[in-house]
Amino acid sequence: MRSSSLGVQLERFGLVIVWLAVIALFGALRPDTFLTWSNFSSIFGSEAVLVIVTLGLIIPLTAGDFDLSIAQTLTFVSMLTAILNARLGVPIEYVIPIGLLAGALVGVVNGAITLFFRVHSLIVTLGVGTFLHGITLWMSDSQTISGVERALMNYVIIYRIFGIPVSFYYAIALAALVWYVLSYTAFGQQLLFTGRGREIGRLTGVAVGRVRLAAFVASGVMGAIAGVIYTGTTGSANPTSGTTLLLPAFAAAFLGATCIKPGRFNAWGSVVAVYFLVTGINGLSVLGFRTFVHDLFYGGALVVAVMVSQLVSGRKERAL
Amino acid sequence: MTQSGHPRLAIKGLTKSFGGVRALSRADLTVMPGEIHGLLGKNGSGKSTLIKVLSGFHKPDEGTLEVDGRPVALPIPLGRSETIGLSFVHQNLGLLPEATVLENLIAGDHERVRSWLINWGAEAARARRLLAEHRLDVDPSWPVENLSPVKRAQLAIVRAADRVSAHNAHGSPGLLVLDEPTPFLPIEDVRELFSLMRRLRQSGVSIVFVSHDIDEVMEITDRATVLRDGEVIGAFDTAATDRASIVEAIVGRSLTQERLVGDAAPQAAAAISVRRLGGGLLTDLDIDVAPGEILGLTGLIGSGYDDVSYLISGARPAMSGELAIGGDRFDLTDFSPVAAIAAGVAFIPADRQRQGLALELTLAENAMLPDAVSGRGRWRLDHKGRGAATAQLIERYVVKARSPDQAASELSGGNQQKLLLGKWLRLAPRLILLDEPTQGIDVGARREIYDRLLEACASGAAIICATSEFEQLEMIAHRVLVFERGRIKAELRGGDVRKSMIEQACYGEARDHAFV
Repeated sequence: MRSSSLGVQLERFGLVIVWLAVIALFGALRPDTFLTWSNFSSIFGSEAVLVIVTLGLIIPLTAGDFDLSIAQTLTFVSMLTAILNARLGVPIEYVIPIGLLAGALVGVVNGAITLFFRVHSLIVTLGVGTFLHGITLWMSDSQTISGVERALMNYVIIYRIFGIPVSFYYAIALAALVWYVLSYTAFGQQLLFTGRGREIGRLTGVAVGRVRLAAFVASGVMGAIAGVIYTGTTGSANPTSGTTLLLPAFAAAFLGATCIKPGRFNAWGSVVAVYFLVTGINGLSVLGFRTFVHDLFYGGALVVAVMVSQLVSGRKERAL
Repeated sequence: MTQSGHPRLAIKGLTKSFGGVRALSRADLTVMPGEIHGLLGKNGSGKSTLIKVLSGFHKPDEGTLEVDGRPVALPIPLGRSETIGLSFVHQNLGLLPEATVLENLIAGDHERVRSWLINWGAEAARARRLLAEHRLDVDPSWPVENLSPVKRAQLAIVRAADRVSAHNAHGSPGLLVLDEPTPFLPIEDVRELFSLMRRLRQSGVSIVFVSHDIDEVMEITDRATVLRDGEVIGAFDTAATDRASIVEAIVGRSLTQERLVGDAAPQAAAAISVRRLGGGLLTDLDIDVAPGEILGLTGLIGSGYDDVSYLISGARPAMSGELAIGGDRFDLTDFSPVAAIAAGVAFIPADRQRQGLALELTLAENAMLPDAVSGRGRWRLDHKGRGAATAQLIERYVVKARSPDQAASELSGGNQQKLLLGKWLRLAPRLILLDEPTQGIDVGARREIYDRLLEACASGAAIICATSEFEQLEMIAHRVLVFERGRIKAELRGGDVRKSMIEQACYGEARDHAFV
C-alpha cells in the first residue's frame, strides 16, 4: 500500500491547504474585519444552505445524472413554507413535512420523465426547474413573503452552538449522512456503478432505474430541506434569490470531487469546497470588491475544477 | 481511358509486418476490369491488412500497386483512394442512420459538392437519376434508418460506385472493395445485393468481394484469391473449382492443440436446458449442457453463436425461449440479470471495458459488486472484509495487482479478465456463460483462465463458451456446437473436437454434417 505517500495526501488535502492559505492571505490583509469569529460564524451559518444543495447535487451526479432543478426546488419549497405558515397560518411542524414531500415529488417527476422517456436528465431537470420557478413566481405574485413563525428562525439561525448558528450543524449532520450512505452502504456502491459503469451494474443485478429514481428523490428532498432552512435564515421567502445557488453548488460539487476522495463526488470534499469558495468571496468583498466577484469566482472555480479533474484522470491514464 | 489488356488492379509482392510478426508476406492480387473477385481467408489470414493497405491505412514494407496499368505510389494518402479509382464499403456501411438518403449520398463528397452552398434541388435530381440507374427503389428524402438492411447495403455500394466514377482521374469505372457486406442479411436479400453487383460488373466496374461465406463467393465471383497466414495460397477460377479445394486452401493443415479435457463428456443427466430460444439471429434453438461439461459455441461471423449467452443471461430480452436449471424454469422473454444471478447463472461478456469492469473504480469495488447487490451487509459495508476477500481473490486467480484499492484501469487485459472471472466464480454459479473469454489476452494468462474454468467445471458447474477461436475449443471444450444463420449446423463431440474438424464444420456445407 502506497496510498500514504506524500503526493497522494497532498492531492487529498490540497484544497484544504489552499483554503487555509486563502484564510491566511485575507487575514494578513484585513486582520480586524476578516479574521474575526463573528465573520466566520456568519459564513458558516449563512452558507449552510449552499452546503445542503451541494450535498443534494452529488447524489444524482454520482449516479451519472444532473439535477438542474435543485435550486428551484429550494426556492419553491422556501416559498411554499412561507405561504403556508405566514399567509395560511399552518403550524410550522406541519409545514416542514409538506415541504419535504413536495421536494420528493419533484424528484419523482424528474426521475420518471428521465427514465420513462429516456430523455437526458440535463434537459428534463432544466425544464422542470424552470417550470417550478414559474409556479413560485405565480403563487407569490413575485413578492417576498415574510412573517414566518419565529420558532423556525430560532432553530435555524438564532440558536447557536459555540457561537455558530445551528443551521451549520444541520449541514454537517447531512454531510455525515451522505458520506455514510455513499461510502458504507450497498446503495452507495449501486449509485457508483450506476454512474461509472451502468451496463456493468445492470449485468450484475443492480436495478439501475430504481437507483437513479432514488437519487433524484434524494436530491429533491435535500433541495427541500435547504428551502426550509433558507426561509428560516431570514424569516421570509424571496421568489428569485435561491436561483443564484445553482452554479455555486455545481462549482462546489466538482471542486469537491478533486479533494478528500479525489475522482469521486464526495460529501466532505463538497463541504470543504463550499467553505473554500465562500471564504474567497467573503474575503474579496471585505477588501472592497463588489458583487461581480461572485460570478467571477464561482464560474472560474467550476471551470478550473473540471480542468483539474480532467488533468488528474488524464495523468492516471497516461501512467498505465 | 482503360488501356485494354491491363488488369484493373495489380498488387505484387505486398509485405507488411507488425512488430516482427508478418501479417502479409509477398502477397499478389490481380483483378481484371469487370471482374468480381473473391477474397477469402480465416481471421488473421491477412485479408484485413491487405484491405487496409489499399485504403491507405497501412504503409506496406514492400510491394507495388498498379491500377489500370499505372503505377500507384504506396502508401496511398488517406482519403485519396477514389481519385485513383478505388472505393470501399466496410461492414458497418458508413451510413448515418438519422440522415436522409440524399444527405448520405453527398456526405464527404467535397470534390463535387461546394461546401459553402449546397444546391439541394440539383443534388436531389442527381440522386434520383443515380438511384434509378442502379434500380434502387428509394427516395432521396427518406431517412436511412427507415430502409431495410439490404437497401442500406445497396445504398452504400451505389454511393461507392458513384464516387469512383465521379472522381477517378483516369476515367475507368474503377474498383469497389466490399468488405463483408452480407453476414447479417437473410439469403433472399443477399440475392438482391448480388444482382446489383452483377449490374455493376456489366458496366465495367471491378469488385473485390471479401467474405467468410464460401457459398456466396462460389455464386457471385469470377475468380477468388485465398489467403492463409499472410500468404496467398492461390487464385482460383471459381466456376472451374470445387468447394472442397477452396475449403482446404482456406483451412490448411493445422497442428493439434494440447487437449486439457477428456474426450468423454460427463455422463450426468442434462440438468440445464434451453428450449425454443429465439432472438437476435437465433430461431427456435435447443441447447442442453450437463454439470461438469464445457460446451463450446462457434461459427462464422453473423452465424449467431455469440447471441446465445446474452439471451440466456437476461442481458438482452429474448423473443422466445425457456431455461430450465436445477428444476427451476424461467421464461426467457421476461428474464433479467437479477433473476439469472439468483438462478445461479454467471455471464462474462466479451466487452470488458463497457460490460465487464468499471475501469475508474477499484478492484475491491468491482469484485465485490455482487455482494452490494444481494444485500449482505446492506447498511454497513465491511470495507476491511471486502478488501480481504478481494485480496484472497487476487491471490487465488493470480491477478497481478498492487492492492485491492487500485483502479481496475491499471491492470492489463489478462489480469482484468482474471479478476472478472474471480468476481463471478466466487458466487459458485451453476451455469457459467462466457463470450470470447480470451480476447486480447496473452498466452500465459489464457492458460491460467483455462485452469480456473476447468476447476469450476470439476466442482460441478456447467460452462457455455462462445468463441471464434477454434484452438481454444480444442483445448477446453467437451463438445462444440457450430452455428450457421442462427441455427445449429453441426455438433462435434469428444475426439471430433479438433481445430481442423471445427474449421471443416464451419466452412463445409451443412449436408456434410448430418449428425446434428
